[in-house]
Amino acid sequence: MMKRRKPERKNPASYLVMGGSLLMLAMLMTDLGDRRPKPVSNKCLEVVQSQSVLHRDKLSQLLSIPERSSREQVKAVISEPYCRLPQVEIRAGVPADREAYPLAFDPQTWFVVLYEGNEYAGYDFVFKK
Amino acid sequence: MWGAISVGKVCYTACANALRIALLIPLTACGIAQEPPTARSVPIHQTWQIQPGSAIAGHRVLAGLGDISIDLAGQRVYAPFDGQMQPTAGNCVVFSSPEVPAYLLRLCGLRRPSLGSVQEGQALGRGEVLHFATLRKQTDGRWALVEPSSALLTRLLRSP
Repeated sequence: MMKRRKPERKNPASYLVMGGSLLMLAMLMTDLGDRRPKPVSNKCLEVVQSQSVLHRDKLSQLLSIPERSSREQVKAVISEPYCRLPQVEIRAGVPADREAYPLAFDPQTWFVVLYEGNEYAGYDFVFKK
Repeated sequence: MWGAISVGKVCYTACANALRIALLIPLTACGIAQEPPTARSVPIHQTWQIQPGSAIAGHRVLAGLGDISIDLAGQRVYAPFDGQMQPTAGNCVVFSSPEVPAYLLRLCGLRRPSLGSVQEGQALGRGEVLHFATLRKQTDGRWALVEPSSALLTRLLRSP
C-alpha cells in the first residue's frame, strides 16, 4: 500500500520572505519606471514648463558663461525652466530669482540658477536625498 | 569662479566644472547623498587684517568688519534652507545651500553646532551671541562680505 504523502506545510517565515521579495521587486520596478522629475519640485513656487530638462550640451555651454554676465546671456543658452522657486532676499535690498531644471541625463539631480536683477549670480546642483 | 580676468583661471575653472559634471552621475548612482562635514576654507575678498579667529594680545577676535552680532541669549538659530554645515576657521561654521547658489553664511559663537546635512527649519545650535556674516561669491573664487537682508536674519532666528 502506498503511503499517502502529507501536504508540505510551509514555514510562516517563508511567506514573509516571499512577500518581502515581491514588495521589494514592485518598489524597484516603480522606481525604475518613474523617470519623471522629483523634488526640488516641492520647493517650486510655480511650474513654468513641466517638460523642461537641461541637456548635457546646454549645461556645458552654461558653465562657460562667467558669473556676473547678464540674465539674457544665460537665457540665450537654456530654455524655460521647469519651475521658479520663491524669490528670496539674501543681500539687503537685492531680491534674487531662482529657477530650477532637472538634468536630462539624471532627472534626480536639479540645476538651480540664481539671478539678481539682470545679473546671473551663480548656480548649484541639488541632489536627491 | 570663472576667470573673467586671466586665461589660466578660465582653464582651471573649466576643468573643475568638467570634473564636476563627470562626477554627477557616479555620485548619484552610488547614492552618496551626504558630504561629510569636512572643514571648509573660505578665502575672503576683503583683505582686512583682523578676522574672526585672529588673536590680539592673547585675546581671540570673535568677529570683524562685516559681521552682525546678535544677542541670542542662549536661544537657537535655524537653517534658513536645506543645506550643509561645515566647520571653518575662527571656531565658526559655514552654512551653504544649493538652493541659494553664490552665497555662504558664516556663523560664529554657536555652542556645539549641528554639522553635516541640515533641513530647512532645523536647529543649527544655540549660543549667547551670534556673529553672523553673509558672503557672496566673487568671479575670482573668493567670497565678499555683504550686508544680509533682515528677511534672511528673520529666517535664521525665528523658530519654524
